[in-house]
This record gives sequence, C-alpha cells and structure tokens, in this order.
Amino acid sequence: MSTILDAIADLRAGRRSPVDVAKSVLTTGVAVGLLLLLLFPVYWIVTVALSRGTTLSSPGSLFGDPAAYTLDSFRWVLENESFRRGLLNSLIVVTVTVTVTLAFSIPGAYALSRREFFGRRKLLYGYILFTQVGAGLSIAVLIALYALFSGIGLTNNLLVLGLFYAAGAIPFNTWLLKTFMDNIPVSYEEAAIVDGASQWQVMREVILPLAKPGIAAVLVFAWTAGWNEFIVAQTLIHDPDLYPLSVELYGLIDDRRGTSWPQFAAFALLFALPVAIIYFLAQKQVESGLSFGGMEG
Amino acid sequence: MSVDTPEGVGNRIRRLLPSSATDIGVVLVLPGLVLFSLFMLFPIAFLVYLSITDVSRAGDVIGIFQGEASIVWFANYLELFADGEFWNSIGVTWLYVGVSLGLKLVLTLVIAILLTHDRVAGKRYMRALVIVPMGFPPIFVITIWRAIFSPAAFGPFNRLVSAYNDVVIGLAELVDTIAFFVALRAPELLLVDVPVNWTGGRWAAFFGYVVTETWLAYPFMVIIVVSALQDVPMELHDAAKVDGAGYLNRLRHVTIPAIKGPLVFASILTAATSFQNFLIPWVFNKGGPGRSNELLLVYGYREARVFNEYAMSSAIMVVAIGFIGLFMWLAVKKTNLADGV
Repeated sequence: MSTILDAIADLRAGRRSPVDVAKSVLTTGVAVGLLLLLLFPVYWIVTVALSRGTTLSSPGSLFGDPAAYTLDSFRWVLENESFRRGLLNSLIVVTVTVTVTLAFSIPGAYALSRREFFGRRKLLYGYILFTQVGAGLSIAVLIALYALFSGIGLTNNLLVLGLFYAAGAIPFNTWLLKTFMDNIPVSYEEAAIVDGASQWQVMREVILPLAKPGIAAVLVFAWTAGWNEFIVAQTLIHDPDLYPLSVELYGLIDDRRGTSWPQFAAFALLFALPVAIIYFLAQKQVESGLSFGGMEG
Repeated sequence: MSVDTPEGVGNRIRRLLPSSATDIGVVLVLPGLVLFSLFMLFPIAFLVYLSITDVSRAGDVIGIFQGEASIVWFANYLELFADGEFWNSIGVTWLYVGVSLGLKLVLTLVIAILLTHDRVAGKRYMRALVIVPMGFPPIFVITIWRAIFSPAAFGPFNRLVSAYNDVVIGLAELVDTIAFFVALRAPELLLVDVPVNWTGGRWAAFFGYVVTETWLAYPFMVIIVVSALQDVPMELHDAAKVDGAGYLNRLRHVTIPAIKGPLVFASILTAATSFQNFLIPWVFNKGGPGRSNELLLVYGYREARVFNEYAMSSAIMVVAIGFIGLFMWLAVKKTNLADGV
C-alpha cells in the first residue's frame, strides 16, 4: 500500500517518469499473474470442496456456484467412519515415528558432534551419503521387506510401519541434529564440568536445551514423513481397519463408479491441513533443515 | 590399508569397545546405526541375494532357507538386459528426468528473477506464497493433479485445451475475414482433439507426469535460487551496465554465472528425486497405458506385486539402487556437504 502511495507522490513531484512507474506496475502484474497461475490447483481444490456435486463431467463453472458454497463435504468427512479410523491410525504411526526418531538420533548426533571414536568419520560420511537420497530407496527395499515381512507375519502392523519410517530417516535426522549441535560452543560444557556436572548432566542440561531448534526441525521432519507417506503403507497394510489417512485418501478415487470430487477435496484438505500448519509454524526450522550444508556449493 | 598384525587387531578391538567414558560415543551411536541397518542396509543385501535366485511369489521367499528356490546367479540380469520393457523403462525414466529438469529450471529462473526484481512490489509476500506447495503432502498434490488431468470432457486441463482450440480457430477466422481472398480454416495441425485422454494416451500421460513433477519440485529450487540471487553483488550489475550490457547480456554473463553453483546443486538433488519418482505414475495410471510409462521403480514394483516375479523385481531394484548410489555420490562430490567430516 505504501509503495503505491510513494509512487503517486513521486509521480506528482516529478521524481519518477510515468513510463518508469508503468514498467514497475507491469512487472508486478506479471509476477502476480504467474503466482495466481501457479497456485491455481490450491484455489481450485478449495472451491471444489465447497461446491455441490461433481464439476468434472458437466459444463458448468469449474469453480461451482459461489452462492451455493456449503461446508457439507467437510461435515461428511468429519462424520465419516473411515476418516476417523484413518486419523487414529495415522496418529499411531506418527507417534511411533517421532518417538523412535528422537530416541535414536539425539544420542547419535551428540556422539558424532562431541566424541571421537573408532569409525566416526566413516560413519559420518556414510550418513551424509544417505541424506542425499529420497524416498526411492525405501521403495526399492520395500520389495525385499515385503517378501520378508509377509513370510514372518509383520505386515498389517502399524508399529512396524512407524519404525520403518523412523529407521529410513536416521541418517538425515542424525546428521541434521549433529550440524545444530556443532554450533553449540564447547566452552558451555567445559564450564558445566568445572562446576561439577556429570557427563549425563552435561548432555541433559547443556546440550539438550541448546539444541532445541534442531530437535524441533527433526520433530517436524519425522512427523511429516510418517503422516505423508503412502506407498509403503499401502504395501505393508492390507487390513482396511488399519489404513492410515494417506491410503484412505487414495481409496476415494474411484474411476469405475466416479469419484465424488467435493468429498474427495474436503478429505484431501483436512488431510493436508496439519502438515501445512506445521510447515507454517516451523518455517524457520524447516528451511534451515532443507538448506543445511551444500547451499553455498 | 596395511595387513593387520595381531597386536593391531587387538588395539582396534580395544578401541572398538567402550572401555572408558570417552568411548561412550560408540554406545550412543550404535542403536541408530543398528536400526538403520536392520531396515535399510540388510534389505538391500537381501535384495541382491533375491536377485540371483529364481523366487517368484512373496510367500516362497522364506522357503529359500529350506531350499525351495534355487540360485541362478546372473540369469535374471541377462534376461532383464535382453528385455525391451526394461530398456523402455530406463528410457522413459531418463526422458522424464531430463524434460522435467529443463522445465523446472526455466520456471524456477523466471519465478526467482521476478521475485527478486527491483520493480516488483510486495515480492516478500509473493516469495512466501510461491513456496506454499512444499507444505503439502505429495499424495495430496498428486491426486489433485490427477483430477486436473481428468480424462472427463470438462476436466480442468481439458477445458484449458478447449479454450486453446477456440483461440486458434478464432485467430484463423480473423485472418480469414481480413484476407478474404484466401480460404483459410483453422489448421488441423495446431488443433488438439478434445477431450484428451490424459490417463489413456502414452504421451498425454507423460505430459501429465512432467507437469505434476515440475509443480511438486519447483518450490525447493526457488528457495535455493532466490537466496543465491540475493547474494549476487550489485557492483557486478552496475559494472556491466556501465559497459553497456543489456538485460539479456547481464543475465547471461553476470547473473547465471554467479548462481551457477547453487543451480547445479539444486539440479542434482531434484534430478535424483525425479529419477526415483514412484507416486506420480502410480497415482495417475500405474505407469500405463499398458506398461509404456513405467518409471524404473514402478516397473520393479509392479513386477513383484502384480506379476509375482520377485527375483526379476529384485534385479530391477538392484539396478535402480545402483543409479541412486550414483546420484548420492554425485551430490556429495559436487557439494561441500562432506567438507567438515
């Protein structure tokens, strides 16, 4: 707003030429246009969730009729048995993933940051290699795991699923936390030891509180990993009673009988909402996590 | 590494054992390492083992230990490398990586340059908005794009194509009215048959994959490129301006070289992710139509879960892991991630 007022004042005073202002307006317009184009899917899915009936096979407006917008689809989702069950299952998986991740990566990160031990450098290098890998490795090993698990009866188990997510991300989370801990000055620990603190007290009362932002980042990553994942869950869980939300969402797409798009859109939005909120609240941590190392490459 | 003397081995073992408080590091690091090995490293080894057997159904796998499946060594790999489907999958995967990377680079540069441009007002808010897609679960994003690419006559993208057709026809009519002496009709070549069957046509589906992949990955690249652009010294631009360089020249000789490092870094990472993409083809049409668009991981997955060829699937996955390993090595080599180690 103030930019516009400034521009008008500049024009009046003759500090800027009209052509110059027009150029700025035009580039801003292009940027806004591009942004609207890019965010079209978000806007569209929200309007679909609010509108009635399907809008894909009828020639009406793509965005439904704004006058007839209703929250019925959201109500349908919240009262839907499979949504509630899926929510509970997802929460179980996420709890396991977060707990295991924190329990295993905090001590590991501390050791890698502060201790010298046999094979430390090799282990670090190995972990760094595995931080660079996406979900593909999980899918590749999924075949072997499925073959094993179905033989020994470990499929259809939410705890195993949560454990798998935590295990796969150990290198990334440990390394991320280690880089945070590296930035805590050693002198703090030395001061604590001089004051008579034990090893355990140093860890608990110096390192842990100072590593909080790093722990928050790891928590966010572990949480979203468990919440978002789809294909491993779909492969390892066969019992519909144990489906997490991601699998339930995919199940709503029905090509044969036709998908109810408003209900699908409402379900999808409610599924994505917690992640979006967490990303928004923890934006700083997430970005520092995404940008750690390499960025200046 | 030199050959260990008995004393050397003894020393190494002694160093391995947590003998004093300073060796507590091993104890702290071991649980995580064991967990990771159990769910990642061990299955990789098991996958390699499966790939040299002739096991077919998942249930038989445990039977291997009782001798129900036999070891066939490299027979699976030989069969795989002689199979046209495998090479099709490799080709489609690399084409997908290449095309989507090109698209992502262009889109990212346009967004990043616009959103760091002096003339754009409110660019800070726009920068926060433009990376919003990153906060969504991939399965959410992909199912929505599948709806956008719905083959239904009034699916969002089909409407866009219809609108494009109308524009082409309109333009042709306009030319026809002005130049009334030539009988001009809309050129068939420029028109698209609607509705496009986005899940049933090979290249239509491939196009859908690439667009979705681009949308999924651009926020990550925009973050990196925007922060790189902000670090480009203004003096360089000013000097180039003094030398009379136009906008495009400055872009080519000042901006791009200055952000080359981060650009390469982002490209490697995003190429690695799209090489491993599974969800987009899977959710769109399971790598179809038929088996024509199966990216490598979809190909391997379907071979096991749909066609019950676990040994063959394992061989495919081992090949995929080989490629992923190359990407890992390249990423660490090309960046300074491992510098502090």
